[in-house]
Amino acid sequence: MNPGPQIKFYLFNKEYLPVTDTLIVGWVSVILIVILAKYLTTNLKMRPEGKQNVAEMIIELIHSQIEPMLPNEGWKFLPFIATIFIYVGFSNLIGLVPGVTSPTGDLNTTLGLALVVFIVVQIEGMREHGVWGYIKSFAEPVIFLLPINVIGELAKPISHSFRLFGNIVGGGIIMTLIYQAAPALVPVPLHAWFDFFVGMIQALIFGMVAIAYISVAKS
Amino acid sequence: MIEFSPEVVRTVIRTASLIGAGAALIAGVGPGIGMGYAAGKATSAVRRQPQARGSIITTMLLGQIISGSTGIYSLVIAIFLVFNT
Repeated sequence: MNPGPQIKFYLFNKEYLPVTDTLIVGWVSVILIVILAKYLTTNLKMRPEGKQNVAEMIIELIHSQIEPMLPNEGWKFLPFIATIFIYVGFSNLIGLVPGVTSPTGDLNTTLGLALVVFIVVQIEGMREHGVWGYIKSFAEPVIFLLPINVIGELAKPISHSFRLFGNIVGGGIIMTLIYQAAPALVPVPLHAWFDFFVGMIQALIFGMVAIAYISVAKS
Repeated sequence: MIEFSPEVVRTVIRTASLIGAGAALIAGVGPGIGMGYAAGKATSAVRRQPQARGSIITTMLLGQIISGSTGIYSLVIAIFLVFNT
């Protein structure tokens, strides 16, 4: 069991690409999600039954979150937002397995996801207003606000990634302390809180903030 | 001029960073007050207009996310201070 966060930065130094447990668990969860998606979407029918109900429920939940904030474009952004939501939710849930740390408890994972969202936000803003119009929108209402707007834009991926990272790592540290103090029975309800409830809420929030950033860039 | 051994210097730095980590978590007070205020306002809004419950909860969550991020920053700084020195 790892006693805390592993934050490693080796950029063209001694070690080139250190393979951490984050990488392994991340790939395992990706493979599990692909298998699960294949299983849930085989043999689709017009009248849903059984496992198809579950799949439609998840998709409807995510779509009902996108539709009010991006009117008439819910189905366009659904694949992107649903990918983020399902990956983050599954990564938080996989921390329930003993001895496995959540991939989202690593700044590299969350910062990667937040940077993807950041790039999508810039592209959508440019597609809506045109390249020059989007750049000019940073200098509104007066030109003196340009540096503040640029810094505010650059702070978005940082706060977006640190929110998920901080929540998962904080829960993990508290769980480690509890395991040292009371190894039996006491951690069970706390696992339900920190992994199920906080994990699901944070996955929903990560997706919702991505939608909010896109809708701010498009307005 | 007094020379300190590296062990003493390391201990002093470690002590200072642990005190700093504890002090950084004082920042948890602000987001707690702010998020509770937002939740209270949302409760009274739901009481006044129960049919708008869904959109009220979405708006409340977004506001709480923004106001809660300062607390997360302080938590991350505290974690860095504890584990990286």
